[in-house]
Amino acid sequence: MSDQGYRPAGQPGRAEAGRGAGPAGPPSLDQNFDAGSLYALRAAVAAHAAAAGLSPQRVYDVVVTAHELAANSVVHGPGHGRLRLWAGDGFLYCQVSDDGPAEPEPAVTGNAAETGNAAGAGDAAGAGMPWHAEHGHGLWVVGQVADKVSVDHGRAGTTVTASFGITPC
Amino acid sequence: MTADASTQVTELTADDHACLTFGEAEELFDLTAAFVRDGLAAGLKVMWLSDAGPGIAVKELTRRGIAVEPAMAAGQLAADGCEGRLLSGQAFSADAAVGWLSGQVAASREQGFRGLRIAVDMGWALRPVTGVEELPRFEEGIAAALAGTTASVLCQYDRERFDPVTLASVAGFHTRSVAAATYYADAVLRICRQYAPPGVRIAGELDYQAEEPLARALAEAVRLEGDLVVNMEGLAFIDARCTLMIADAARTMAASARMVTLRCPPEVASGFVRLGMAGVPGVRLVTADE
Repeated sequence: MSDQGYRPAGQPGRAEAGRGAGPAGPPSLDQNFDAGSLYALRAAVAAHAAAAGLSPQRVYDVVVTAHELAANSVVHGPGHGRLRLWAGDGFLYCQVSDDGPAEPEPAVTGNAAETGNAAGAGDAAGAGMPWHAEHGHGLWVVGQVADKVSVDHGRAGTTVTASFGITPC
Repeated sequence: MTADASTQVTELTADDHACLTFGEAEELFDLTAAFVRDGLAAGLKVMWLSDAGPGIAVKELTRRGIAVEPAMAAGQLAADGCEGRLLSGQAFSADAAVGWLSGQVAASREQGFRGLRIAVDMGWALRPVTGVEELPRFEEGIAAALAGTTASVLCQYDRERFDPVTLASVAGFHTRSVAAATYYADAVLRICRQYAPPGVRIAGELDYQAEEPLARALAEAVRLEGDLVVNMEGLAFIDARCTLMIADAARTMAASARMVTLRCPPEVASGFVRLGMAGVPGVRLVTADE
């Protein structure tokens, strides 16, 4: 796969090389969401993650990630967004983007967090006491369950990409 | 405040003729277990007539903490089908059924019990049983049979399967209507009180949009006495926010020396493990496959 730096249309080129692993083809799932469609979004993500060959626990982790990122856009962002899911290079990628202004939000902390990102990602929710953080707790969970997470705050909005290693069953 | 104005199953008294409506088997078994538990504790004879069959009845009651075997051995508890009691060869006669009931009231008195409690799953009336049109007359007859006795009857109707007209036609003959306290119910989520063992039951998919009813359910559970179960066996998804709320409630209760059991599928349990709940004294994290 040579297409590095996959980014949504209209997104300025801020994605750093190496963390924007893109789909070899079109995403297997490309769905818009808002507060009223989170249930349908989770169902679709679960079906696609299972089809990609993940174990039930990992499918659940992908669903949790998709939900938390989407809920973040709904509650703390513009109220809606777009989710894309694709597999490539032995990973399943879950990407949520919205067109909202980059409100300062807590960093994704935990074992999967990638740092060195653009402004706004530095307001840590307190990595030592993550479970008391209200806003940011969902992102903390994403950091815990995903193998890798990158956050990109561009002028056109925020894009978060989480990846999950696909271990052959 | 709960979403419905029904009487709680734990508030029933002697000579009540109550109409219980339920939406799923889990709810029926839970409410029946509470009815049986309180009846046994009060020294009453307790009978449960259902289509479930004695095997399932024993299993479901035992699973909910009722000491079924000793109560049955002592003749204090019976779980039977409707055939040979309310029905005779799949035929129903209101007079015969009321006669059977009166006989049971008299027999329990002769056996030395302080009273009788009978729960009747009315599911038989959904089958092609002759005489089923006498159902309202039976319900009317029960009221007369119970007058002046220390017996109570809990008629159990599946509100998904009985049509509203039938439910309305029998409702008036009952002294009370009983249902599980429900904090939230729609096509994807149900949050209700659990009665046996006491706690909260959450089934379906739970996220921050149901934060308010979840908070109410937990707040009410905290006010109950004794140990508590948060039954999430039927929960397919829980988000980070709600996991945190339940974990916080469990920590609060455990801190006041109450045992809290979080019962859930392994995927849901992983969220609680992440918050360190597996190591909190007084909190038991039980995965459904254990």
